[in-house]
Amino acid sequence: MTAISVFLASKGIYLLTFILLSLGVAGMIVCNNYLKKLICMNIMQVAVIFFFLCLGQKSGGTIPVALDGALKASEYINPLPHGLMLTAIVVSLGTTGVGLSLLLRIREKYGSVEEDDIIRRERKV
Amino acid sequence: MRKALTVILLVIVLTVPFVFFDILPVIGDPDSAPNSHVSDYYIEHAVEECNSPNMVTAVIVDYRAFDTMFETTVMFLAGIAVMLILAEHPKRKLMVPTRVRRLNVHEGSPVYRTVNKDVMVSVIQVLILIYAMYVLFHGEVSLGGGFQAGALIGMTYLLDVMVCRREQPLFRTTKYKAGAIAGLGPLLYAVTGMIPFIGGGLYLQYGKMPFAIHEAELHSIGITSVEIGVTIGVAATIITIINALTERIVFDDEI
Amino acid sequence: MVYIIEAILLLGLIAIALTIIFGRDLMVAVVIYCAFSFITMFLYIIMGAPDVAFTEAVIGVISTVFFIIILRSIRRNIK
Repeated sequence: MTAISVFLASKGIYLLTFILLSLGVAGMIVCNNYLKKLICMNIMQVAVIFFFLCLGQKSGGTIPVALDGALKASEYINPLPHGLMLTAIVVSLGTTGVGLSLLLRIREKYGSVEEDDIIRRERKV
Repeated sequence: MRKALTVILLVIVLTVPFVFFDILPVIGDPDSAPNSHVSDYYIEHAVEECNSPNMVTAVIVDYRAFDTMFETTVMFLAGIAVMLILAEHPKRKLMVPTRVRRLNVHEGSPVYRTVNKDVMVSVIQVLILIYAMYVLFHGEVSLGGGFQAGALIGMTYLLDVMVCRREQPLFRTTKYKAGAIAGLGPLLYAVTGMIPFIGGGLYLQYGKMPFAIHEAELHSIGITSVEIGVTIGVAATIITIINALTERIVFDDEI
Repeated sequence: MVYIIEAILLLGLIAIALTIIFGRDLMVAVVIYCAFSFITMFLYIIMGAPDVAFTEAVIGVISTVFFIIILRSIRRNIK
């Protein structure tokens, strides 16, 4: 059990995170539908946020809300990645909204959100 | 072409971490590089300097307040972009699929015999708003803050749009008004940052505000007013995006 | 022990991502994306970031509703 934990802490978690990131990128390339591409963009962003939070983890630390009288740096988890990623999550909602509004305009202009249909219509015209 | 590109990219992404495993720190190591330099200072001085036991709030709106101001501005610009992209009215209604159009009018809106859904929704909305206010004003002491409170207020509006019919809204604005309100949030943030100039301080240095109270209280006042600005910006931006998207769509019970 | 739970949840996330990429129904993809964001929230709580988990819970629900609003106007099935 301890050997598995040591392997996961040094390499395994990072490897799984990179697999998730590459799945997001591959989905953005492979998928034919624009809505699926937007969902895959969100998946990619979750992988990036998870990577940042991994860097701030501390074994033996509690959540970063101060208790009375205990103010040693080794007792709390690093609050800096939390602050950075909290704003990133909220901004991701804004980017999703802009992407969805562009998707609505594409639907009105071409009548479809499949990439093949749009490329075929562009070549015909 | 596309599949070859994907295979190349997957090979690169899966081999890069094996090369860089020695550089990446072990997870949970207290002495690694991201855990050692500036974050130690934040943890040890957040309570006495900023008067905020929640260190995440202290980092967001006090130590790195300049960063958060432009994040709020980015959110506001996203709302403005959605408003401008969807500003023009569509020439014809092609939103409704044909099989939905054949349905009966009353089929889409089931009648609840036991509970009036307008009363139910208004009770739930008030509870969510009370919780949002708690999260906003209690955010520097416990978990929460301006972003979460703004998202909760946006969720209240989402309930109103999704459940109530459009003829009898509980509260409803247009997307232009909501976009204008969203601009007030970063403005409140920026004006709060300028108040310490009077006391001879720097931009967003809450300790130099020209009020005759203790410095820790000054930090509390600055953090709270800045978070009110963030809340207004985020909530009004979410309302703008919801309005702009739902204007283009026709639902089942409105045909 | 914490790392083993994290690894199991990450494997669940990878399975959900594969389902989204190779599935044929868009409604299934959107609803499974909601489950994705809730598993992510659980992961953030285990890692000791309750602030981020709170934000992710609210934002995940709101973005799922955005996707479902858009899904009214486009074709559901992928050929």
